[in-house]
Formats: sequence, C-alpha cells, structure tokens
Amino acid sequence: MNLTARIRKQVSEQLSWDRLLPSEQPTYVSSLVYSFGVLTLSSLVVVIVSGIVMSAKSPVWYQTSTVGEYFRAIHFWSVQAFFFFMTMHLVVQFFMGSWREGRALTWVLGVLSFGVGVLTAFTGYLSRGDFFAQWNQVQSKDAFNGAGLNGFFNALDNGQIYGLHIAVLPTILIVLVAWHLIAVRGKGVVPPYPIEGNSGAKVGERS
Amino acid sequence: MKQAYQYPDAKRFPMKDFDMVKEGILSLIVITVLVLIVAAIAGAPYRPAVTNQQVAMQSPLVIEQTALGDLDGSGSIASYGPPYNNGTGSVQSIAGFSPQTWWGVSYPVNTATDDVITPLSMLASASGNSQLAKALSTYQEAPSATQAKWNQNLSNAFNKATVVGGTVKLPAGNYGPVAYMMNSELQLARSGLLSGALSRETNQGVYRFNVQNDLLFLQGDALHDIAGKTDLSGEQWGINHDEQAYPGPWWLTPYTFFYQVPPWNTSAAGDEMTAYTVGALFLLLLFVPWVPGLNRLPRLLPLYKLIWRDWYRDEKGRKKDNKADPGFGAQVGHNH
Ligand code: HEM
Repeated sequence: MNLTARIRKQVSEQLSWDRLLPSEQPTYVSSLVYSFGVLTLSSLVVVIVSGIVMSAKSPVWYQTSTVGEYFRAIHFWSVQAFFFFMTMHLVVQFFMGSWREGRALTWVLGVLSFGVGVLTAFTGYLSRGDFFAQWNQVQSKDAFNGAGLNGFFNALDNGQIYGLHIAVLPTILIVLVAWHLIAVRGKGVVPPYPIEGNSGAKVGERS
Repeated sequence: MKQAYQYPDAKRFPMKDFDMVKEGILSLIVITVLVLIVAAIAGAPYRPAVTNQQVAMQSPLVIEQTALGDLDGSGSIASYGPPYNNGTGSVQSIAGFSPQTWWGVSYPVNTATDDVITPLSMLASASGNSQLAKALSTYQEAPSATQAKWNQNLSNAFNKATVVGGTVKLPAGNYGPVAYMMNSELQLARSGLLSGALSRETNQGVYRFNVQNDLLFLQGDALHDIAGKTDLSGEQWGINHDEQAYPGPWWLTPYTFFYQVPPWNTSAAGDEMTAYTVGALFLLLLFVPWVPGLNRLPRLLPLYKLIWRDWYRDEKGRKKDNKADPGFGAQVGHNH
C-alpha cells in the first residue's frame, strides 16, 4: 500500500464520524467526573472569545473603559474556571488510570496542555499592565534568567510577552487540545479497572 | 463495514445512548452564564502601575539612592551579570551548571550611562541647563578614584539625609558634582520624564514595547517596599495570590512552595534550583504512564471504585446472571 493510501485509511478510521461523534457510550460512562473535560473545554472557549475581543481592541481599552474592564473580568474568571476544571480533570484521570490500554498519548497531550496553559496564563498576568504585572515581571526575570531562558525570553519586554500571550502560546494550546480530543475520541473512553486484579479489589467494595 | 469503524470497546462492553453534542452545548451555556454573572458582580483585580514619578514624589531618597547605585556600580543591576552585563552578582549556578551564562549579554545594560549619564545629558540639553552639562563633564573627566570618593561620600551622607519639601537635604561634604547630578535625576523623575528617558529604544523609539530599563530602575527598593505591604514578595508566596481579595494563580502553588523551604529558599541559586525541580516534577507527571509504581498507584488507591461505583454494582449483578446464563459474557452490547 502506498503512503497516500495508508494515510487515507488511517485518517478515515481514526477520524470517522462514528468515532469523533459517537451517539452512544459504554454503560460505565456514568459519573459527573466525565464532565470535567467538557467543562474545561467550555471554559477555554470563553477564555479565547473574551481574549479575541480584548486583542481586537487594545491594552489601553481593557484597562480604561467600562466595557473593556468587563471583558477583562470575563477573561479573568473564565481562566479561573479553566484551571479549576482542568485540575479536577487531571486528578480524576489520574485516579482512573486513564493512560491504560493505549491511551498514554492522550495523557501526555493532556499534561502538555496543562504546561502550555500555565505558561499562557503567566504571560497573561505579565500583560495586565498594572502593578501586579510589573511586580511579577521584575520578580520572574530572575527565575527566567537563572533557569537559562534568558537567551530566548525577556520578561521585561512587553512586546514579546504580549505576542507570546495572544498568538504563540494560544496557538500551541489549541493545537494540543484539539489533538488531545482526537486522541480521546480515537480510543474511546477508558474501561474501569478489572474487578478482580492483583490488588485483590472486590466487586462493589467501598472504602 | 460500519463495524470496523467502531471503538474496540464497543465490542467488549454494553453500550447506552449518550448525547455528546447536547452535553457540550449545555456545559458551554452553563459556564458562559456563570462567568458573565461572576464577572459582572466581582470584576477583576487592578492596581495601577507604579511609576518613577510616584516614587520620586513619595520617596525621593529611593530615587537618588537607586541612581547613585547605578552610577557607582554598587546597585544590584550594575553587577547583575548575564543577560544584562558581565557582572557576577546575580549569576546562579548549581555546582558549575549555569545556563544563565550560556547566552552572553543578550539585553545589555550599562547602568551608569543608560540610567544616569544619558538621561541627565538629555535633560541638560533639553532645558539648556549649562550647570548640569558642566557637572556631567566634570564627573566624566575626573579620575576614577575621585569619582569613587565623591560617590562614597554621598552614599554615606544619604544615611543622614533628610527629605524636606520633596528634595533631599544633605549634610555638608565633598560630593563633587554628584549631589547635583542626583538631585537633577530626582527632578527628572518628578517631572515624569525619567521613564521615557530610560525605556530602551530599539528601533528609533517607534516601538516602545520594551520597558526593561524603566523596570530595572524601579525593581529594587521602590517596588519591593510596595509589594511587601501587599504580601506579594516571594517569601510571602508572592505570585500565588493576587493583590486584592481575588483568587490568584493558585495553580502555581507547587512552584511557589519551593520558595518557602530550604534548601531552595536559602540557596543563592534558588531560582535555578526551583525551575529545574519543577521541570523534573513536570516530566514525572508527563511520563506517569511509564513510571513503575506511579502508573499502578491509582489501582492501589480505592478512588476508582467510587468513580465507577454504578458500573461495579451492575457488574456484580451481571456476574450473578452470568452464572445462570454463561452465554451472556460473549454477547455484550446491543445489536446496532
Ligand atoms: C486544556 C485542557 C484540557 C481539555 C480541554 C481536556 C478535554 C478533555 C475531554 C473533553 C475529554 C473527554 C471527556 C472526559 O473524560 O472528561 C478528555 C479526556 C482525557 N483527558 Fe483531558 N483535557 C485537558 C487537559 C488534560 C490534562 C491536564 C490531563 C492529564 C494530565 C488530561 C488527560 C485526559 C485523559 C487521560 C483523557 C482520556 C480519558 C478516557 O479515555 O476516559 N487532559 N479531556
């Protein structure tokens, strides 16, 4: 089979609508913890939409006008929601051992999303244009310098911080999240741990 | 044909209807409404940025001391090291491992010329102040031993200085032209023009994005005094909480934690140690699926039983049924 045919076969299997948008799930998918991923995604959508509005205007707009300040507040609180749900999501995926049965890539993409999310939020805090931003710029410069990132990153250069925050890092984040979701759908939801495993867990056992 | 495209698990487990799109839309609506309401009620934290002008008004001595430190090379940035200059004062190194020095001086700062001499000569020519122009040339033409003596005298005198009517009053002494220069720097800051004179001009001043020198001038006592009052310094879990009663970036807790405990908070390379410690922990999290022990931890902790309790309860029932009807196990899933 040539490369083109192989890719087509792979893509049409992995990205088939049956897999991307299944209308049924295994019966074990019955817990609120499955909503944390979707809630993270929804928060991210609000973060991105409010961010786009703010960058379409200007930094001065969201610091001085009433409407601008409201969008800053929307951005601020949706970021809080994003991190809250992402952390819950990470924790429950850990306790479910969701990397099992060929889902390691899904886990890795999730952790990378977390890491890039943290960096995006940090450059956002540095872009606030207020005292908190100033203070964290001068404080974090020593950390970036000490870590050896000074060759690439200058925490006191607002042009670089802003560019990273509104374009570079969100683009990477969106690609990672999209890939994460495709990986989730490609494999289907991870099955529960088998009832009698080597740890001797019994059916229905509560602790 | 359709069968081949279904999940492998569809063959192993009973299935049920599940409306993913509806769940997604619902979740988006709930989050959007919640965020819009909270944002309208609570707003977002904001404390206006601090300027050199404000500092000059409130603590004139801080401006003069900072400027003198920049001039005589005793200030922390003057001797910082890479990426600002060739000093060694703030170079972090763990047993000779010092990536900070790998890139050389990427963002050069010469504090004496950039922060003091250049802004003051701009001020002298803009205001036609020949006394200041003369003071500058006197200073620059003096032998370095003389410069050092003036600077030292003035530095000592600052400890006995008083602030009267917004200016710094010094005891009599031999400061050469330096006391006048420092007073001029203070006046420049009071006027609000110092920040503009400090900001790096990378392309003829068109893009004034880079506020490095302005912030480096403020970064010492000026900002620390204000930050300390609002519990923002590093040893107060700084970045972890916002400046007002708002949630801060609490997800940085693992990072700030290391700034509270030895050896991270006592080492001169504390930033470097923290960065690499957190980096290592991140890698550990990334590779959880392959780390022996860690990848079996959730199996040993009973939390998964809580998450899948419905499934395990039903499974118990199914197992019982299986005994009665051994054929069931093979026939999972409906026939769609
Ligand atoms: C930008 C952040 C993230 C978004 C938007 C996101 C979204 C999602 C969604 C919608 C799902 C499917 C539904 C669910 O099980 O909750 C999912 C599954 C999953 N996520 Fe994430 N996630 C993110 C970050 C993470 C992180 C930080 C981790 C872990 C370190 C992670 C690990 C996983 C795993 C392993 C699955 C598969 C679960 C399974 O197969 O049952 N994700 N994610």
